[in-house]
Amino acid sequence: MNKKIISIFFLLIIFISITLAYSYYTIYNNEKQYDNPIQTISENNISEEIDETFIEEDDEIEIGEMV
Amino acid sequence: MKKIVTVLMMLLIFISISSLAIADETEEENETVDLEIDDDTKKEIEIMNYPLGAEIRLLQLQKVIIKNLLKGEMAVEVLKALEYNTTTLELILSEMKNLLEDVKAVNTSSNDSVQQFADLKYEAKNLTMQFRETIKDILDEEKLKEIRERIKEMVSEELQNYSKQIRNKIKQFNRNRLYQLYGIIGEANNSFINEYLNGNITLDQLKFHLCKTINQMNKERKYEVFSEIKKDNIKKKIKAQSSIDNMKNSGKGKGHGNGK
Repeated sequence: MNKKIISIFFLLIIFISITLAYSYYTIYNNEKQYDNPIQTISENNISEEIDETFIEEDDEIEIGEMV
Repeated sequence: MKKIVTVLMMLLIFISISSLAIADETEEENETVDLEIDDDTKKEIEIMNYPLGAEIRLLQLQKVIIKNLLKGEMAVEVLKALEYNTTTLELILSEMKNLLEDVKAVNTSSNDSVQQFADLKYEAKNLTMQFRETIKDILDEEKLKEIRERIKEMVSEELQNYSKQIRNKIKQFNRNRLYQLYGIIGEANNSFINEYLNGNITLDQLKFHLCKTINQMNKERKYEVFSEIKKDNIKKKIKAQSSIDNMKNSGKGKGHGNGK
């Protein structure tokens, strides 16, 4: 009986550990994703956002070639 | 005891695998939905929340359809001279002409102009592909190359007028965005805007000047301005996505694949 309880308890610990490790990994990654752009604003970041604001004067729509 | 442990272990493994499989399936489903409208169209739709942006996109669509119509007509003339049967090709061109009229008839300020643009562009891509495939069946690669060379030299006054009109509208659009950016930065350089409109400075020079102005700000102000610009760009993307979602919900966006 004791062995049964110990085994189930052991399995429960493994299960909880996996869940906690997975949650920690997911939260850490999400935080990293949201924090990075705020912490480092480079010249490239600014120029990318400015590029997004305007349209290039030679901008065209592509529908493919006839021949 | 060993049996119970084994059964429990098996159960755990089974639950883990099935939950992974479900997660995978959901991701696949999402990917399929995203592929319905190609990335280029998604990008093009972004500026259509502004009336001028919608005008630009529809004019660009008209221009590209006219360009393909002219090329198609030239190819048909060549084929006729070589005494080939061109009935199917002419039918496709006639459908394309009707499509052009539909594009011209779109009201740029109507709520469903985005949907109409996506539908008409999809149709234009389809007709172009049909024409290309049909002509491929009629001619060999050498003759196709010859025709390609001939239509490459095509010059059209109508197309040039369209290009001028579109370029002017893009300049107006960029001027409006520039005022918006100056609003965020907190200072307006009117002479700079006029220089751009008169063609004395290029868009790249204008962008460089803006970047320099923002970079010269102190750290906090730079963050503030950057966040505001980013916020506006994200809003634009969200609005475009919501138009796409509306399209999908109303069933009109179905089949907007790559249209190759």
